[in-house]
Amino acid sequence: MPLVTSPESGATTSAVPRRSTPVRVRGRRHHVHLAPYLFVAPAVVLFVVFMLVPIVYAIWLSFQTYHLVGGGILGHREQVFAGFENYGSVLADPNLIAGFGRLGIYGLIAVPLNLGLALLFALLLDAPASRAKRFSRTAIFVPYAVPGVVAALLWGFMYLPGTSPFSYITQSLGWGDIPFLENPGIFGSLANIAIWGVVGFNMIIIYTSLRGIPSEMYEAARLDGANELQIALRVKIPLATPALVLTAIFSLIGTLQVYGEPTTLKPMTNVISQSWVPLMMIYRDAFLTDNLPSAAALSVVLALGTVVVSAIVLLLANRRNSGGVA
Amino acid sequence: MSAIATRTGPRKKADRGKVLPTVVLLIGAIYCLIPVAWVFVASTKSRSQLFTTFTFTPGDGLVDNLRSLFTYGGGQFGLWALNSVIYAGLGAVLSTFVSTMAGYALAKYEFKGRSVIFYSILGGVLIPGITLAIPQYLLLSQVGLAGGYLSVLLPVIISPFGIYLSRVYAAAAIPSDTLEAARIDGANEWRIFRTISVPLMVPGMVTVFMLQFVGIWNNFLLPFVMLSDQNNYPLTVGLYTLLAKGSGSPALYSLAITGAAVSIIPLIILMLFLQRFWRLDLISGGLKG
Amino acid sequence: MRSRIIASLATLAVAGLALTGCSSGGGDSDASDSGPVTLSFWSWAPGTKQIVDTWNKSHPDIQVKYTDAGGGNDSSAKLLTASRAGNAPDLSAVEYTTLPAMIVADVPLDITRYVKDVKKNYTKGTWDQTTFDGHVYAVPQDVGPMAFPYRWDKLKEYNIPVPTTWEDFDKAGVAIHNADPKVSLASLPADQFGFYGGVATQAGGSWWSIKDGKWTVGIADEASLKVADFFEKMSKDGAITTEPLLTPEWNKQVNDGTMLSWPSALWAPGVIQGVAPETDGKWELGPLPQWTAGDTAVAYQGGSGVIVTKDSKHPKQAAEFAKWYNASEEGATLLLNVGNVYPAAISGQEAAKSSKPPALMPQQTDYYSVAAKIASNTIPVTWGPDFNVAQTTFTDALNKAIQNGTPWRNAFIATQNAVVKDMKQSGYKVTNQ
Repeated sequence: MPLVTSPESGATTSAVPRRSTPVRVRGRRHHVHLAPYLFVAPAVVLFVVFMLVPIVYAIWLSFQTYHLVGGGILGHREQVFAGFENYGSVLADPNLIAGFGRLGIYGLIAVPLNLGLALLFALLLDAPASRAKRFSRTAIFVPYAVPGVVAALLWGFMYLPGTSPFSYITQSLGWGDIPFLENPGIFGSLANIAIWGVVGFNMIIIYTSLRGIPSEMYEAARLDGANELQIALRVKIPLATPALVLTAIFSLIGTLQVYGEPTTLKPMTNVISQSWVPLMMIYRDAFLTDNLPSAAALSVVLALGTVVVSAIVLLLANRRNSGGVA
Repeated sequence: MSAIATRTGPRKKADRGKVLPTVVLLIGAIYCLIPVAWVFVASTKSRSQLFTTFTFTPGDGLVDNLRSLFTYGGGQFGLWALNSVIYAGLGAVLSTFVSTMAGYALAKYEFKGRSVIFYSILGGVLIPGITLAIPQYLLLSQVGLAGGYLSVLLPVIISPFGIYLSRVYAAAAIPSDTLEAARIDGANEWRIFRTISVPLMVPGMVTVFMLQFVGIWNNFLLPFVMLSDQNNYPLTVGLYTLLAKGSGSPALYSLAITGAAVSIIPLIILMLFLQRFWRLDLISGGLKG
Repeated sequence: MRSRIIASLATLAVAGLALTGCSSGGGDSDASDSGPVTLSFWSWAPGTKQIVDTWNKSHPDIQVKYTDAGGGNDSSAKLLTASRAGNAPDLSAVEYTTLPAMIVADVPLDITRYVKDVKKNYTKGTWDQTTFDGHVYAVPQDVGPMAFPYRWDKLKEYNIPVPTTWEDFDKAGVAIHNADPKVSLASLPADQFGFYGGVATQAGGSWWSIKDGKWTVGIADEASLKVADFFEKMSKDGAITTEPLLTPEWNKQVNDGTMLSWPSALWAPGVIQGVAPETDGKWELGPLPQWTAGDTAVAYQGGSGVIVTKDSKHPKQAAEFAKWYNASEEGATLLLNVGNVYPAAISGQEAAKSSKPPALMPQQTDYYSVAAKIASNTIPVTWGPDFNVAQTTFTDALNKAIQNGTPWRNAFIATQNAVVKDMKQSGYKVTNQ
């Protein structure tokens, strides 16, 4: 666009346009100042209304409790201030520790497999030797389109001995049923549903990151005689680290907040209790036993835990990036 | 590849190298497709065939199942599908609009409060949906909106992830010089946004739209808490109620399976169609050094 | 232009308001009591819409809008949430088990003065299910006297007499298991809190009782512990399994003929028919096995009533509908024939005697006589205000006991302790130590 100075602002096409700019900017600054605030206004308003206010309300609730009034055998409840009572009982609940323990086991299976498979598929898609790339990429991505509730239902049928094609095979071979829905197989089964759902999405993230690597990087390595595997390990993976870190964080947050899969499978097996993971405990308190303050306190605890874990991962990632070879 | 080895050794190795990646990819593809294939086969089975025949044997009940599905509750399935389209379509459009404006401002302007706003909104990702759902419900009830379409639409418009993506894309795709030049030309900010920035941001906007559409379409918890009238349910909640009838009435597995099969199809088609417009490298773009 | 932004936002707002107008349904009614009134009604039983339509046709001044709010658990969760927001529907079906908890949460209206006139339509035991402290909070809809549907053809095939006592039931279960390990007499999993409460009551236990304004929790009283031991023995003997019910797995077994009975209540045949229509004609209904030979008393399992919520702006009209729906002869007969439930009202039960048997057992022409006999000697069950706490604790504790092989009675004791602690914490007067 040609730099044409407009007459109204009083600037001239003098040889020193810079000196005339402050005048114009001062006149324009009024508009420039307000514009960004207007642009972010809808987002900020919605954020305050639908995120900030509910969070504040939840925190306030976590300091309340219910007290019985009215005498008689039933009476009804009134909300009163309770200080840290809810936090005390939530943190002292042995079920909570057990719940986090289960999350740990679940996470140990789900996060590495998620990352590992997504990385593997992405690398394979990027490898020149692979065929059927379009088909595979699309097929692996399909589960992303399936809602969690539906996915858990489908896999439920795949797991139950009576309707499972896998157990059918092992039964025909005389090996009995595969214990998908028993302890400890249940962890793998649940992790599988989650992995199945997001591996395609994560694969695409890592793959597009790989595609962004300039080919000069490879040429140098190939000229040196490196084969595809070595290139993958030495060149591609390090350069895809940002994508990997992001995927890891999402995986971790997803693990800490796992809820849909255990809830949908719960009616089909006896090994999943109503307090199997923290989020199910929150649901129980909020919707089943009508104890909102306790649900709020547990939510705050869980949210803080998520922040801490994410911060740790980011710190580790940054330290690796700045300390190691980028 | 250049030099072709004539010795048998390297050629064998090269052949094995060629086949293995493809095989692994195909295994992954099959793994991902099995349940989907299953649901399509299972939707052809009648109610009694569902539990009596081998998993992958097709049945003959497809037409009956479809008919039962679309006449259930006086045509509720059709309503659910329509609701999903409205919530996801309208929600994604509005969300893209809001996210684009916010991301653009955060990327291309220096203003007080910029970091605070950005990091606060990003922090929203860490809060579990359940925690927000009930207070949101209570809030919307105060203004009489609970149970209506807005109660499911409004909370999903704010998307921290969408704003993050928009910001990354705006920073990368819109040269500041161009904006400066336009300002010097005398254009006001909205005009600049509309005529210069938005066209440059289109691939990013498509990505945000797509992610929001799928996210809202697949969302279960929010509509489950907000809605009580079955006619307002989206597909996720509707299918869930077919299953969760409690021990008083049997779960309508046949209907739910057929419904699941039917509801997956449009989303797959949409994704296949929009595939070429994506810029998912945006997602890790913000972290690149 | 800034004005364009404002214009677009304004358009959005207008569109939004229009959408609100379109879709906000139930609860909207006239302030005046004399004009036509629309009531919102939540329930989940199949066939409800038809019955509601019948009412609407003959009552143009009181129109009822029916909403299927999901199964019993989901319905009550939604009802609680809606009530907190002041948004509850005018009427809702509520299971007897959760009614006390609802009362504590201030959801139902005290309708004693509206429904005094239909008290005589019910037996005392039934009416007591919805009365607390002399106040009536719901109109009983259906009852679930416990009963025993079984596969008569399979029992004949294995040459096993139909069990009439729990001892016989144990023997029958073991015999079947020995004959064919893949076949089970019944599955009684840990999440069947209502079932276990019922058989404990049948044995003389009393999980919650009230005296002089004080509660006593008896989930681990002597009779209940004996029940725990006995069912544990049955499970270890292989007489029963403990897999969840109504799952695809269980449904397959019912279809296959490898699940031979479902000790539960009178509403069971309808459910079985829904998952295994091809087994019609192979089932029969008998009385639930007894602890002592010759006894006939059974408890209730399941069943619900209809409440008028405190949020209703037309309680009088709502109560009228509730009375017609549940207590009138017309309503109760419709519940029987269209809703496929066993009506709580005496008139409905009388009408049942001349009805055809359910589709699952067309060959059992005296089905409803058998049902009436069963229903004539029932022991009412009192449920506590923290039923949900009890249910989740019991299910989790019993599941753990089953999996670890530890005594079931410990699960019962743990549940009682948790319930007592919870009730005391909430402020109830509890006699337990």
